[in-house]
Amino acid sequence: MYSDISLNRRKPTRPLISLVPMIDIMLILLVFFMVTSTYLNLDMIPALAQSDRPVPSQAAEAETVSETLLIRIGTDGSPFHQGKDFTRDELISLLTVRLNRNPALHVIILPTGGARLQSLVTVMDIVTSAGAVNMRVVRLEARQ
Amino acid sequence: MRIFRPARRHHPETIIALIDVVFFLLVFFMLIGRMDATAPFDVTPPTALTGADMPAGGITLSVAADGTMALDGEEVFLQDIDQRIQSQLEADPDILIRINAHRDAVLRDILPRIAQFEAMGARDVVLVVTPPGPAR
Repeated sequence: MYSDISLNRRKPTRPLISLVPMIDIMLILLVFFMVTSTYLNLDMIPALAQSDRPVPSQAAEAETVSETLLIRIGTDGSPFHQGKDFTRDELISLLTVRLNRNPALHVIILPTGGARLQSLVTVMDIVTSAGAVNMRVVRLEARQ
Repeated sequence: MRIFRPARRHHPETIIALIDVVFFLLVFFMLIGRMDATAPFDVTPPTALTGADMPAGGITLSVAADGTMALDGEEVFLQDIDQRIQSQLEADPDILIRINAHRDAVLRDILPRIAQFEAMGARDVVLVVTPPGPAR
């Protein structure tokens, strides 16, 4: 005996996972990070490098051969040399003349303790831009 | 005579591409964003034309305009700074020390610290600067 019975199994319905809440959350996170993130372009200038420490032979040679230029920085941030205030352009020309004469010129910067950091960085910037490769920042320390 | 215009086939817009783009943007902003508090106070670094790229890692000493200091985002007293830097230097003598000082901070607050770090044996101490902004 053969009976024509067909059993149709229902196709299981696929659970629908809605993507909309995920997109909402992602957009909220995106806006949050866009608003809160601050892109800072930070650079650095070396204040103390391992190469600053001269080997004894170099130190002795530097003492005998090198020429030094002392630039002081006043409390108002203006650089002066041998008691004379220098503008930025004047300082650049002084450095250019001295560096042309002696490319190994040692530039020593002696800032007043009350000077602002920006004034020291500006002078260091000028000295580096002028082409000086030997630069040191020194400070006076009270004897105890 | 009736003319039947063929029904336009509706292309369902895929939102997968949108999700991809949003996801990439999200990851981008998460990576470049600075959520870490490098200083609990306002620090505007000085501007410099000759700054070099900032190396990664190291310790960050932040100095506010009034001389307040923070080490890796945590405000600390002067005596604690030396102690903590010393211990870090003992663990890694080549560790980089970044000084992120406000441009209006006075040098009597900064230079003695650099000298102290040098005396402790620090080899790399850098000042954080920013390149000058575009002329307005």
